[in-house]
This record gives sequence, structure tokens and C-alpha cells, in this order.
Amino acid sequence: MPLKLYWIQCGGCGGDTWSFFNAESPNVVELLSSFDIELLWHPSISINSQNDLKTINDDVLSGARELDVLCIEGSILRGPGGTGRYDEIHGKPKKDLVASLAKRANYILAIGTCASFGGIGAHTEIEATGLQFLREEKGGFLGEEFKTKSGQPVINLPGCPCHCDVLAGTIAAIGSGVQLKLDEYNTPEEWYGMMVHQGCTRNEYHEYRVEERKFGEKGCMFFHLGCHGPLVHGPCNKVLWNNRSSKTRVGVPCFGCTRPDFPQQYPFFQTRNIEGIPIELPEGISRAHYMAYKGMAAAAAPKRLKTRKTGI
Amino acid sequence: MKQKKIHFYPLNRVEGDLEIRVEVENNRVSESWSAGIMYRGFENLLIGRAALDGLVLTPRVCGICSTSHLKAAAKALDMFFNVKLPDNAIRIRNITLMTEKIQNDFRHAFMLFMVDFTNPAYQKHSFFDEAVRRYKPLTGETTVATVRETKKILEIIAILGGQWPHSSFMVPGGVVCVPSANDLAHCLFLMRNFRIWFESRVLGCSIERWMEVKSEADLDAWLDEAESHAQSDLGSYLRFANEAGLKKIGKGCGNFISFGSLDLPENTDVKCVGKDRQFLPCGVSQNLKLKPFDQQKITEDVSHAWFDDSKGAKHPFDGETIPYASGKESGKYSWAKAPRYDQMPAETGPLAEMVVGSNPLFVDLIKNDGPNVFVRQLARLVRSAYLIPVMEQWLEETARCQEEFYQDHRKKERGKGYGLLEAPRGALGHWVKIEDAKIQKYQIITPTAWNASPRDASGARGPCEEAIVGTEIKNLDNPIEIDHIIRSFDPCLVCTVHTINLKK
Repeated sequence: MPLKLYWIQCGGCGGDTWSFFNAESPNVVELLSSFDIELLWHPSISINSQNDLKTINDDVLSGARELDVLCIEGSILRGPGGTGRYDEIHGKPKKDLVASLAKRANYILAIGTCASFGGIGAHTEIEATGLQFLREEKGGFLGEEFKTKSGQPVINLPGCPCHCDVLAGTIAAIGSGVQLKLDEYNTPEEWYGMMVHQGCTRNEYHEYRVEERKFGEKGCMFFHLGCHGPLVHGPCNKVLWNNRSSKTRVGVPCFGCTRPDFPQQYPFFQTRNIEGIPIELPEGISRAHYMAYKGMAAAAAPKRLKTRKTGI
Repeated sequence: MKQKKIHFYPLNRVEGDLEIRVEVENNRVSESWSAGIMYRGFENLLIGRAALDGLVLTPRVCGICSTSHLKAAAKALDMFFNVKLPDNAIRIRNITLMTEKIQNDFRHAFMLFMVDFTNPAYQKHSFFDEAVRRYKPLTGETTVATVRETKKILEIIAILGGQWPHSSFMVPGGVVCVPSANDLAHCLFLMRNFRIWFESRVLGCSIERWMEVKSEADLDAWLDEAESHAQSDLGSYLRFANEAGLKKIGKGCGNFISFGSLDLPENTDVKCVGKDRQFLPCGVSQNLKLKPFDQQKITEDVSHAWFDDSKGAKHPFDGETIPYASGKESGKYSWAKAPRYDQMPAETGPLAEMVVGSNPLFVDLIKNDGPNVFVRQLARLVRSAYLIPVMEQWLEETARCQEEFYQDHRKKERGKGYGLLEAPRGALGHWVKIEDAKIQKYQIITPTAWNASPRDASGARGPCEEAIVGTEIKNLDNPIEIDHIIRSFDPCLVCTVHTINLKK
């Protein structure tokens, strides 16, 4: 029996769909065929018309058609005033369709930060929310207690966009009956059990606290330029983007796009700090020891790094 | 007896949610309304934020043209800080923007537009089996190749900018990356590989041979000249379009607007067409008469969009927009606003670039048959032929030139700036006002806002609406003509419904 997958786009930019198309091996076409996945609906790809979609929806909602994996991209828009009228499908609030489909699905994937935590638009006039979280707070659109037919909560795959390997890997796990271990935000540990910092080619600069204050240099961006790499969970510097690089590797600070509070309320491109030490330090670290360590590390920094004579 | 009937056609295989409503009289469209049916209040997020924050937030407006939004945001800030860019920064910004245009053109053409030729409406046409073989979603030969080739070329943006989509590697003063000679060699290699696919499969000939096609007669001769031309994807498009009658539908408003883009570095061998030192000139064309472009003549009208319209149409620096969900009875019907140039609606996109750039082939095609679905989509299919050689040139120049990629600038507290360019779908503009080093106002006008705009206060329809009116629909249950017309504009509604600006 093919695995039936239904993809719905809500309050989002479509970036998770196009990020998915970056997947290399398997690419999207290979993934769907090798795991025998039947795409019931995807708004950008399907040949079916919106009128066919009504039939597909009727069949899924009546139970005549199975729904194995429900992929939700974008946040759920509840505005204005809880009506959901800011995002409609077939003349009705799209949030109502999502609620009905959710009851029929064996697995639900919240693809991207908007679907997971509300993301862009959370706590604004459009009243955006994630499926089971609104930023860090449990609940969201479906409620804290919600479980899919398979007994799982919504699996959150945050990132702006969601990395294609994370999505492909999650679909592959479901297709092969592997149960993914989830952490406190219902994100799979496989990809969110590491920091963005891990694997960054600027790590040596970080180690010896060789810091950057302006763009276009090769040093560490954590201390002044607002990089969130050591603070945020994600596989960016392990799996890389487009099979090539990552933001931090080319000199763009990590903006913490996998975090429930993305986008942050304070300015990007600058680190909030006290006397040169960031206010926010890596999880579980002792501030006094960290300051002593970084002071000594800076004093020990090799000339090679201080003069930026490195290949990265 | 004449019967008027209203039909709703929500459209997929476009970016975002678009609903077309038409009034049909004896199978002919007598009136049409194009509606964006989602609202994200995007610019609202930017108000009160730090001046540079638009570089992170505005790419998130659109998942398929985030680099374009980034560049528009960066250009607006270049103007605000009054900073002059090093040549290499200009090149890297151009190369990445062109990469994004190329991926968009082919994903749109082969994964969204050509798919309509596999519609059951064409089951009895001679091209049907071939269309299914080439363009069936996820399995068609060309579709599979497009998935492979478009993600490959996007690696250029990842090498130079970290990732695609949604990076923020352009900043006022240039770009943050310092690519090595090896990084640039990889980019050039990706470019050359892409050129091989584009020439062998999409064109069926070399780019240089294609450049010799300068009139409709040349185009006909080109198609008949070689089997490789007729059997390429461009060849199949010409054959299918002819049989399906795409020249006869989707005329539109006849006005074209292009913001121009790809500023030339000071030292470069790339030549520009116009006088404004941009590879693609800016301009406005009305019935093929070119007029100089002045951004001050742009206004946005919200008389038919769900926003408070008590103050009339405004320039984006002065615009004021407050959502006002009045329901349908007030005459308001869309979350998209109506941009106008000198009070007229205008079409934008690859065809507008060709017309404003006085491309002889496209000027000739429009002279002969007027604008239509065929010529609009043709422009998108062949635009890469004009971009690829320039990208190769700039990559080589960057590799040879050892200068900086970023120019630092002084702090500044207040002022304004705008960034205009040609995104994949056409004219994109960002306007920003800054007070106390914070964003006081941010306004974005996207290409689809021009194309899929609702009516304005004078009642003038938007270009998509205008293109549908008068069309004969053979089967009202499967209005393939409307599918072709709308998709020929490559609408991106996720972008457009975000074009909201709220004054603090």
C-alpha cells in the first residue's frame, strides 16, 4: 500500500516547499518513488484542480481514503478576531480544514518554524500560531493533548526554511517504520540534538575569541554580530545547505531560525552583551568560568588567527 | 437569450492563493476579478525594528524569490547610508540574483506552466502523449531534469551566500562573503554545466545561435532548421502553443513596466542596453512606445482591496494601509493592492524586460499579434540565454579581481531609501523610512501586485483581469484557457498578499 501524503500551505511563504526541492540524494522525485509515496495533494505540484481537491478532501474526511502523512507548511492564521478569515480556502477559513484533516492523519509534520511555533506573524494582528506551540508555549492550534491516529504529537521540523534533509529523513523514517525520538519541543533529536555552531568552519576563531565587528571578515560572529550558532539547535553545519555551505561559513550570522522565538524581538546583526560578553551564553554554562576561559583563550590566540591568515 | 453566470476558479500551481472570479456570457468572459485570498500583515513586523532587520525579515516574504527581496532591501539601505559598493560586491549581488531568476524560470515553465498541456482538455490533440511524457508532475522527463538542474544551479547562491532560500548575505555596502578563487571556480563550473543542459535540452542549439533569432520569421525558420530545435523543450513549446492557440488569448493591458536591474560594475566588459548603467534598463512601454521611468509616478490604490481607502492612492513613501475586512458587499474583493504607474495599470515580468529592453524578437512578435500568452511565456523560457553569458563573464571578472566585497559606512539615524530591481517575476520595489535608527515605515510592491492587481478607483482592471476578459471558454468545468492566461503571468501570491504597510 502506498503511503498517502497530503501537503497543505497555510500562512507561509512557500519556502519550505522550494527548500524540499533542494534535496540531493534522494531528491524529491526519488524519495517519493523509493518509499512508494502517493502524493494526494500539493498546491504547487499537483495536476489536479482545486475542484478535484474538494473531492480529495471529502474522501479523506469521510475515511474513504487513508491519510498517512499530513504535511503542514506555514502558520495557522486565526485572525481577524479568531475568525481565520485572513486565510481562506473554498470560501471557508483554512484553519477549519486543517483541524478536520488533523483528525484523520496518522502522522502530522509541522514543516518550518511557522507551522511549528507560529514564526513570522505569531503575536501579531493575523494571530498566527503553530500547530501545538505558540512560540515556547505549549498548546498552539491543536492543543497540548492532541495526538494523531498513530498516537504521536505533531512532529515539529523547524527552520526558516526547514532543511530538506530533515524533511526527507523524517518522511523516510515514517516510510520505514522507524520511530524518531523527540525532544521537549517535539523536534527529532536526530537533527535538533546538535547546535548550529557544531561544524562551523569559524570554530577555531570562536575557540580563541577572535571576534568580528564588521562584515566581510573571517572571524567569529558570536560576540558582536549577533550570531546564534552556539545557542541554537539545528544541523546547518553538519548537513550543510544546498550541499555546499551554511550562513555562518560564508559570514552571515545565524539568526536562530529553528528557535520557538524566531524572529527575535531584539535587533539582528548585533549581540546583546555586558562588557563584551554576550548576555545569552550557551546552555548550562557558568558565566564566571566562561569569562575566565574566554579571557585566557583570547590571550592564547595564535597570530595566524589574529591576522586572519586562514583559508576560510 | 443571454445568460450571465458567475464562476469561481481558485488556482493552484501558482505560488500562494489566488482566486479568479469571472462572469460568463455564452461561454465568453464578460467580466473578471482577481483576488488574493490570504493576508499576512508582513511589513507590520518591521515597524519599530532596527534599520538592518529588513535584511532578515523581508526575504521571508517569498520562498521562491528571497534573494530578490534581500537585494531590494539591501539597495534601499545602500541609498539610506549613501554607500558606494565595490565592484565585486555588485558582481556577487548580480550573479546571485540572476541564479534565482534562472531557477524560477524553469521551475515555473516546466513544473507549473507546461503541465497544463497534460490537461484532459488536450487528450485528443496530437501533442498530448508527448506532453505527458515530458511534463507530467514528478515523472515527466523534463520535470525530472528540471528538479535536478534547478537545485544544482542554486548551489551558486549557497557557495556565495550560505544557503537558498532565505539568506541575508547582502548588507548595505556590499556582501558579507569573501569567496576564494576555488569557490568562484566551483560557481563557474556549475554555470557551465547548466549551460550544457540549457543548450542541449531546452534550446536545442547554442546560446549564440539562439541570439540570431531576431524576428518572428527568424523564429519560424529556427524551428524548421534542425530536428534538435523542434525536439527541444523550446521546440515543443512552440509546437504545442501553436496547436493550442496561445497567441489568441491573454492580451492584457498593453502597458509594460520594468524597474531595470543588474547595476554594472565600474570595470566590466559587460555592455548595457540602456543609458542608466544597468544591464536591464528601466522604463515603461505603452503600446510599444517607450517612456522614461520615474519612481515618483508609482502609486498604490486600495479602493477595491480590503484596506482603509479614505485617503486615496499614495506613493509608497506616503502610503498608509489599514486592513479593513469589509466583506464583499463594499466592492472590495482582494488582499492585494493595486499599484499604478502614472495612474495606469502595467504588466511586468520577463516579457516587460524584453519590451523595455527593445529586444527585436519580442518587439516584432508583439507588433504582429499583440501581447498574448504565447509571447509572455516564451520570454520566460529564453530569458536565461541573455543571462548566462553575462553571469559567466562576471564570475570570471570576480575571480581575476582581488578587491574588496564590502565597504564599511558611517552610522546614520534618519532618512529614507528605496531599492528597485527586476525579480524573477518582474518589478520589485522596497521603500524604507528610518527614524532614530529604527524602521518607521516599510513598503514593498511585488511584481504580482502589478500583474494580479484588483481594480483601481477609476475602475480600470489589473493586467491579469484585463487579459481574461473576452476569452472564450470551451468547457466551463475545465477552463484551461484561464489556467494558461493566469499562469503565463507566473503569479506569486505569497509575495503579494504581504504588501501591507502599517504606519506606527
